[in-house]
Amino acid sequence: MLTAKNIHKSFGELEVLKGIDLQVEPQEVVVLVGVSGSGKSTLLRCFNFLEMINSGEIIIDGKQINGKKDNLNKIRAEVGMVFQHFNLFPHKTVLENIIEAPIQVKKKKKADAIKHAKQLLEKVGLSDKADVYPSKLSGGQKQRVAIARSLAMEPKVMLFDEPTSALDPELVSEVLAVMKQLAEEGMTMVVVTHEMRFAKEVADRIIMLDEGRIIESADPKTFFENPSHDRTRQFIQLVE
Amino acid sequence: MPEILVTLYEVLKRTYPGFLDAVVITLQLTAVGVVLGCLLGLFFALLKLSKSKPLQWIANIYITVIRGTPLIVQITFLYFGIVEFVTLSNFWAGAIALGVHNGAYIAEIFRGAIQGIDKGQSEASSSLGMSKTQTMKRIVFPQALKRSIPPLGNQFIIALKDSSLVYVIGVAELFSIANREAAQSFQPFETYLVVGLYYLVLVMIFSFLLRLYENKLDVDKD
Ligand SMILES: Nc1ncnc2c1ncn2[C@@H]1O[C@H](COP(=O)(O)OP(=O)(O)OP(=O)(O)O)[C@@H](O)[C@H]1O
Ligand SMILES: [Mg+2]
Repeated sequence: MLTAKNIHKSFGELEVLKGIDLQVEPQEVVVLVGVSGSGKSTLLRCFNFLEMINSGEIIIDGKQINGKKDNLNKIRAEVGMVFQHFNLFPHKTVLENIIEAPIQVKKKKKADAIKHAKQLLEKVGLSDKADVYPSKLSGGQKQRVAIARSLAMEPKVMLFDEPTSALDPELVSEVLAVMKQLAEEGMTMVVVTHEMRFAKEVADRIIMLDEGRIIESADPKTFFENPSHDRTRQFIQLVE
Repeated sequence: MPEILVTLYEVLKRTYPGFLDAVVITLQLTAVGVVLGCLLGLFFALLKLSKSKPLQWIANIYITVIRGTPLIVQITFLYFGIVEFVTLSNFWAGAIALGVHNGAYIAEIFRGAIQGIDKGQSEASSSLGMSKTQTMKRIVFPQALKRSIPPLGNQFIIALKDSSLVYVIGVAELFSIANREAAQSFQPFETYLVVGLYYLVLVMIFSFLLRLYENKLDVDKD
């Protein structure tokens, strides 16, 4: 579904990704972990071309993407992204946030977009919030709206960059519950998170990034109980 | 009643028909100047925010020259510059000069407002597949415009007062009329005091409206 081949990415002198190979299968849930600065966000952002790779290949749904030639907007529409700070559009209501891209990008009819949006709001448990502005929502509600907004584009893959890190502790579980449900429904997901419980319960595979390289890639049980790398062991001790 | 108040009252009473006509022209000059200034301001703000160095330079030159020279010089320069080539009424020459002048300040207002919008907004928009133009038009710009309104209101007040300088090219706005009246009546002190009051009242009305609008923004803040 999503393949990275030998991706390199530098910011000026600083090489952040030093040859990443990764293959995410359809319906697979991959959790990406690593210490701060290891390149997790950068990798996700390369996957939906918010950052351009310096070399390597990105293949999405069997199609190799050329950052210069292809219509990146069309590709981005197929790769959903959920941000740490939600990034809802504050001048639009919850419903308007969700129908914006389907109408503008997919040229959906407004009535159809609204109908779909309402189904999605029900799915994330926010049917009663359709007409309020984001500023009136709690962090957890904002993030669930952001997830619904991404889903409205019917993406093939969903990327999550620390979706619960900006939330008060008591609001984390409502967002994780929505993500878990998505995973159960078969969404292909790449998730950067520090929530190890979520990783253990939901991930098919956990990947450890260290200084721009993948040093560990294993199912949760192996990852936690029998990691192959010292750095992984240190990391597990740190987060548990 | 002190004598000065009596004379003031008489001057007010005598001049108000002419002055009120002149107020209309002053407001028209200001409105055209600010609208034109907004269009120019938006255009040059976008140039300045573009990735192209030459376009940025063009915007920088415009902003530097306009902000670095007196408005009265700009008005006279533009007036004599323009009437060389096209026939234009004094009113339109003055209004265009005000527009060009305000454009430089409004460009900076818009640029600041656009840059002040969190990068996450355009990233979220891009990640949903929206094009750069769609992102600008539908996500960044509406938010930036809302934030621009208070500084734009201030700019309107400045433009209102600055429009008095257009007297140099003989537009029959408030200050020109006051000049004429002062000379004819041999009552310059009272006349200029009265015209000052006119400007003060106009500015206060507009400040009041602006405050109403800002309060409304705060109320339905989102
Ligand atoms: N736009 C940028 N320009 C320059 N350097 C950047 C940029 N984005 C990221 N970096 C640098 O790249 C490195 C990796 O950053 P990245 O955000 O990918 O790390 P991360 O693993 O997501 O960390 P965190 O857990 O703190 O979010 C860091 O050293 C960071 O300073
Ligand atoms: Mg990060």
